[in-house]
Amino acid sequence: MSLYRVGVLLYREMVQGPKNIIFIFAVVVPLVLSLVLALLFGTLFSGKPRLGIVDEGSSQLSQAAAAMTSIRLTSFATQVALEEATRRGAVDMGVVIPAAFDAQLAAGQPTTMVAYVWGESLLRDRALLGTALVAWTRQIAGQELPVTLTTTMLGDTVALPWQDRILPLLILMSVVFGAMMLPASSLVSEKQHRTLTALAITPATTADVYLAKGLLGVGLSTVMALVVLALNGALNERTGLVAGVLLLGAIFSAELGIVMGALVKDINSLFATIKAIGLLLYAPALIALFPDIPQWIARIFPTYYLVQPVIEIVQHNARLADIAGLLGVLLALIAVTGAILALLARRNYRLGTV
Amino acid sequence: MPIPSIIAEKLVYRYGSLLAVDQISFQVASGEIFGFLGPNGAGKSTTVKMLTGQLLPQSGQMTILGIDVARHPKRVQARIGVCFELTNLYETMSGAENLHLFARLFGVRSFDADALLRRVGLDGRGKDKVEGYSKGMKQRLMVARALVNQPDVLFLDEPTEGLDPTSAQAIRNVIREEQARGATVFLTTHDMHEADMLCDRVAFLDRGTIVALDTPHTLKQQYGERMVYVEVLAPDGSLQRREIMLDRADTPAEVAALLQGEQVVTLHSAEATLEDIFIRITGRGLAS
Repeated sequence: MSLYRVGVLLYREMVQGPKNIIFIFAVVVPLVLSLVLALLFGTLFSGKPRLGIVDEGSSQLSQAAAAMTSIRLTSFATQVALEEATRRGAVDMGVVIPAAFDAQLAAGQPTTMVAYVWGESLLRDRALLGTALVAWTRQIAGQELPVTLTTTMLGDTVALPWQDRILPLLILMSVVFGAMMLPASSLVSEKQHRTLTALAITPATTADVYLAKGLLGVGLSTVMALVVLALNGALNERTGLVAGVLLLGAIFSAELGIVMGALVKDINSLFATIKAIGLLLYAPALIALFPDIPQWIARIFPTYYLVQPVIEIVQHNARLADIAGLLGVLLALIAVTGAILALLARRNYRLGTV
Repeated sequence: MPIPSIIAEKLVYRYGSLLAVDQISFQVASGEIFGFLGPNGAGKSTTVKMLTGQLLPQSGQMTILGIDVARHPKRVQARIGVCFELTNLYETMSGAENLHLFARLFGVRSFDADALLRRVGLDGRGKDKVEGYSKGMKQRLMVARALVNQPDVLFLDEPTEGLDPTSAQAIRNVIREEQARGATVFLTTHDMHEADMLCDRVAFLDRGTIVALDTPHTLKQQYGERMVYVEVLAPDGSLQRREIMLDRADTPAEVAALLQGEQVVTLHSAEATLEDIFIRITGRGLAS
């Protein structure tokens, strides 16, 4: 393998790629879907977590909340009004601050603060508001929390918000479609136009060609997946880890795409194959859409190990250690698919099919 | 004695039950133009695929420039140029871009695409997209692409088939120039006239085996019959055609009788064509 030749071939792919309809689809479809969903669910243009407060005294907590620009604060006169607003989803979380709250905290006396959470609010917003409340309280108390926080879930407390449910589908569409279809369609197109045969009698190896095609798919889909996550407000402080996991997922998808490209003869057969296996590829995301379906079923499908680590990080703030098992399976899938690819390249040479 | 550029020994390849190449052996000397002739399905393309490292023979040995092709296909491919029968250019790229891409893949430094395009008669068209080229232009670009690495061995598969006379002549000129440079040329064709004009030696391939291999001149002497074609004026004023075989005992008497007894209008000799010889050896034509 020669990195120089991979670079030459990759440059050609990058220059010619944007003329390919698959390339355009890989960029446009996840973006359009994200924008449509953001408009539907309102997370793009009203992305700040919404906190409602009833301040029965004149607590520093409400002042701290008002000073925080990354949340949208609404004050309510009564606990009933706050509860009603939370139930309607006008705020993601509502808290009632008792009259002597600050004084009790300062004296180190136990106190109680009532909080309401809208059941359909985003997990990310709940986590953010909860963390902020804890931090402000600790600041006022000047010590460890002597506060018992009583939380009451209101609204639909079972269902996950649609934005969270649809995120796996968006990730799979970004990663799998781009990383798999770009190299697959490029390879098949080169077969149909016989240019692959022309490349085969140069010093460029099959591995050089496969790698160049794979890299374009991997690069584009990883970037697109990150953009989609950003558009959906799903990126957190573990962006580096997310990018690494997406990269591995894209590598796996690109390998699948190259295997398909190496096996099928023309673009019609490729699309027929994609149609046939599409359900299997997207099954984990489709299962996530419907929480009533037993979620363990998703583990049967290989793409689960691509999407689930990402979901764990962006929705549950998981660390590398938390997703090590899932990543181990993903790495094993990458190794197995890579071995299949090497066998296919050898078989194609023996049969003269390139 | 210099090592032959191409050595093939007992090459065999089967497609399922079809024996495409059956134990063929030959050698091509350095700087030679070698014609590989035969009808469609004779095994020409399969042999070229094996020699160029695209296909692994099921048995037999082959070396190009002393390198074992089966073991080191990429080392061989770095030193050969291949022009395919069917166009396989990047159509959405320009002619010059196509050449630059392959020059980079071959690791050619300071590559002059314009000079190469000029050699094949495509000067001024390098910036045009290939999809706008005529068939002849594409074929000339294919030949140019095969030359980007100044190959030691050039494989040309039907390089002039279906081309206009100007394009065909341009390609023949390039073949002769490459031979003058010192390259070995392996020319696959079923155009016997072209093979006769260009090749130092030719091999006739039929049903996967080589049925004859020699210089065109020797093959004609060995298998062909020289003829004299005469047009005479008949008493009714019409032209009549006579054929006299040369190299026979009664030929001089037959020619003398014709010249004395008839009013000869035209008279010319002709030797057998390679196609005549192929038919004589195999019992079938090249179109079959």
